[in-house]
Amino acid sequence: MNPGDRVRVERAGVTNEGVLMPSSTPEYLVVKLDGGYNVGIERDDADVDVLETDVYDVEEAQSESTTSEIAFDDDLPTVSLISTGGTIASTVDYRTGAVTAQFDAEDVLRAVPDLAGRANYRGRVVANILSENMTPDVWRDLADAIEAEIEAGTDGIVVMHGTDTMQFTAAAMSFVLDTPVPIVFTGSQRSADRPSSDNVMNAVCAVEAAKADCAEVLVCMHGSESDDVCALHRGTRVRKNHTSRRDAFQTVGAKPLGEVDYESEEIRFRRDYAARGETEFAVATDLNEDVDLLKFTPGMDLDAYAEFLRSRDLDGLVVEGTGLGHVHTDFIPVLEELVESGTVVTMTTQCLDGRVCDRVYDTGRDILDAGVVEAGNTLPGTAKVKLMWALANRDDAAESMTRDIAGELTQRSVPWE
Amino acid sequence: MSAHDYEALGLVAGLEIHQQLDTATKLFCGCPTEIRDPDDAARTFTRFLHPTKSELGELDDAALEESRVDREFEYLAYDTTCLVEEDDEPPHRLDREAREVVMQIASLLDMDAVDQAHVMRKLVIDGSNTSGFQRSSLVAQNGEIQTSDGPVGVEDLMLEEESAQRVEERDDGVLFSLDRLGIPLVEIGTRPDISSPEQAREAAETIGMLLRSTGKVKRGLGTIRQDVNVSIADGARVEIKGVQALDTIDDIVREEVGRQVELLAIRDELDDRGASVGETRDVTDVFEDTDSGVIGGALSSGGVVQAVPLFGFDGLVGREIQPDRRLGTEFSDHAKRHGAGGIFHTDELPAYGVTEEEVAALRDAVGAGEEDAVAIVATDPETAALAIDAVQARAETALSGVPEETRGANEDGTTRYLRPLPGAARMYPETDVPPVELDPSDVETPELLTEKVERYQSEFGLNAGLAEQVAYGRRMPLFERATDEGVDATFAAGLLESTLTELRRDDVAVGKLTEDHLLAVMHLVEDGELAKEGVNDVLTTISEDPSLSAEEAVEEAGLSGVSEEDVREAVVEVVERNAAQVEEQGMGAFSGLMGEAMGALRGKADGEVVSSVLREEIQKRA
Repeated sequence: MNPGDRVRVERAGVTNEGVLMPSSTPEYLVVKLDGGYNVGIERDDADVDVLETDVYDVEEAQSESTTSEIAFDDDLPTVSLISTGGTIASTVDYRTGAVTAQFDAEDVLRAVPDLAGRANYRGRVVANILSENMTPDVWRDLADAIEAEIEAGTDGIVVMHGTDTMQFTAAAMSFVLDTPVPIVFTGSQRSADRPSSDNVMNAVCAVEAAKADCAEVLVCMHGSESDDVCALHRGTRVRKNHTSRRDAFQTVGAKPLGEVDYESEEIRFRRDYAARGETEFAVATDLNEDVDLLKFTPGMDLDAYAEFLRSRDLDGLVVEGTGLGHVHTDFIPVLEELVESGTVVTMTTQCLDGRVCDRVYDTGRDILDAGVVEAGNTLPGTAKVKLMWALANRDDAAESMTRDIAGELTQRSVPWE
Repeated sequence: MSAHDYEALGLVAGLEIHQQLDTATKLFCGCPTEIRDPDDAARTFTRFLHPTKSELGELDDAALEESRVDREFEYLAYDTTCLVEEDDEPPHRLDREAREVVMQIASLLDMDAVDQAHVMRKLVIDGSNTSGFQRSSLVAQNGEIQTSDGPVGVEDLMLEEESAQRVEERDDGVLFSLDRLGIPLVEIGTRPDISSPEQAREAAETIGMLLRSTGKVKRGLGTIRQDVNVSIADGARVEIKGVQALDTIDDIVREEVGRQVELLAIRDELDDRGASVGETRDVTDVFEDTDSGVIGGALSSGGVVQAVPLFGFDGLVGREIQPDRRLGTEFSDHAKRHGAGGIFHTDELPAYGVTEEEVAALRDAVGAGEEDAVAIVATDPETAALAIDAVQARAETALSGVPEETRGANEDGTTRYLRPLPGAARMYPETDVPPVELDPSDVETPELLTEKVERYQSEFGLNAGLAEQVAYGRRMPLFERATDEGVDATFAAGLLESTLTELRRDDVAVGKLTEDHLLAVMHLVEDGELAKEGVNDVLTTISEDPSLSAEEAVEEAGLSGVSEEDVREAVVEVVERNAAQVEEQGMGAFSGLMGEAMGALRGKADGEVVSSVLREEIQKRA
């Protein structure tokens, strides 16, 4: 008796016939009845007759692989679709019952037929992971893949990524790469196995953005709860601010850099950007992974953290402080000790929006005296990625944290723009 | 339509009954199950839906046909809806109260609960579910109800979420309201054990009675919907959706049997004639100078005329198969489904401004002779092509008999084509909601409404009519609560059934009275703090300002503070004023003085108290 077999199950006077499905719990058989419903039947005391084996190949049905034959069109630009996994390219895993990623870029084309006719596509799979499992190794592989695509002459790149850590990967690509073509991250908040998924519109808008003139690392996701407009966010200023809404991604401290209208395909930009071909391609994938991000909260066991930090022997520490950039007064000597031992310590704020300013209160002044550098209005997560990159690629990493490298640190605070 | 011998025709019918539950919160979120006025919407948003494959890798016919129409859906959201209805937050766990009620229903229908219920996604991409699917779970199987023509098996019981309410159809989409989306809904499917129209109606009535016995189902228009599956021996299974009124179920079954009989007769005749369906063709040229408003209008806005020759169909397209519905109406339904306004066919032409010459030219253009018919569609090129293909396909089905399909109930008992029958492939698991182990053992089987009618008579002494009115009425749960709390049953029944009806007739906004208001008023009367005669005034006062408590309303209506002494004082005054009459008539003066005394107390006092005091006072003087 295997999943896919047609079975008749009798238990407690009730007879059910249907296709055996994979079950998530050992106590229950899951049978798909002819009406389409699944029911769980307790295995104990259940009489099972296999009527016919392999009526359905459940695995096959889920990962059906017909080859898509898409003709190359000389009049269309070429867009590279790079998949790293995530909801946009996911289907249901019947063992765990959860949604897992198991598609490649070809499948995305099949899953999103609306992409057809917009570009010639090159597909590439860098990873097939949920984005919470993302690592700097995958960032490097992704940078290599992008490099290969750009060398192959692509006109733009769309990276399909899980939404959980998309902002970190987008920030990483922003620092690692200088790009002559658009690199557009997209994903979906609502799984691709639902007709209402945001994957279609996000993918379509991302492809449109990849064909456009803005050669920067962007995140392209729903701009509202409606299927009307996708927002284009700079990879270093974007943050997932909601667990489930389609418009979870927001540019912190400003309006998005631009928008793509789903129906008219029109793209508007609000601010200056690096134009296509303006920047020469360069890549610097070295990353120093001895960097941590520490969020300070009241009631924290300061001694335990001090001990932990000493034992880590970090090259860099990003502190997510309170307010203008503060930690408990008693913790300042610990930070000072780290700085003295050669760790670059930089301050960001858990307010997320706004600029760190440690010259206003005594605590702040003490923090500056301890040798902590202010990361301006750099987002904490972005600051971590930046410090990893700066420690590996810049002589004065500490100083780098106070200057803008990839749009992460703006000189002016103008949230209305 | 003539009466049919249903047994000879091999009538097989089954019911699918959908009933909303009256739970505190929705099936997958904490929002109230409250229906709202679209004008109270807090905000709106728009979405598109895209068909997806089932877990078995299949696309559903019904879903596919739906998706050919690229439509934008707009949704109205309220302060009583949340992100779950907007498909912007995963569903919460299956509502506990709904689970309890559905287990009660299972026990009333003599069903076996499944060991573990799996919530499924039933693909629905007409926009009525923001997610693109309806969450539904099979919770019990294998039940039975009794009818006078024998038992009817109950195949399955589903607990599912109600869809969003359609507010407005638009050219390019639909406006939906989210208030209804997510209200718990049970779906009861009977076995096809029903063999006559009358039995269909009786089975539906019995199931309705059992559902209402729980006291936990919604009442009123649209809260219960019946679908009927009908087929006859040579016909096909047709699913008729959305029968609103119970008492039309037998008519619907009768009309559908009639339709299938007529379609089979048409098939036989087409067969005799060796009929066939030809290729579709653009015949715009024929109508270049037409006087037909419909066709001319379509052409002048860039439209075309598409035609399909129906060889051997002459006279049959116009044949009536249900009152005022012809085979041509069926063709037209299919064309409409693809966005066309309808069709014309040669059985009804010349008419509508189409001339005899044009009809002749049309027949020429498609190679149709006198024995043949031609159907045409005039609209924009894209729609016309889709619509004429649909007509062609439906005409081909006419050659083989009755098509399996989903139809919608019309008010007159006839039906119209809605969509193909949905397949099993439209279901896949709702992975956001873990399976639920059901425990039917701790569910109390509620007393049936039929049993309540008996008990109200024997226990409370209500007459049969009032007992039935209360038991089947929507205030039955309140009546039970009141009597449980010691309110006199006759009084409670009178208030809930007669008083409220009277007030409604007097244009009092009875709908604004909550159960708590009504119960409090009953208690005030029971405790002697409010005279029965004052109830109407107090309820009217509350209806005008529902924020008042019952006590406050008594005061507001000026009915408070009448003690027995006050009554005696007023009665003595009346008696003294009429001393002569009392002396003369003794008790004979009672009824005249009673009216006067009640008037003096302006309904503030209980009539029984007034009457006993008055009796005493008259006796003292007589």
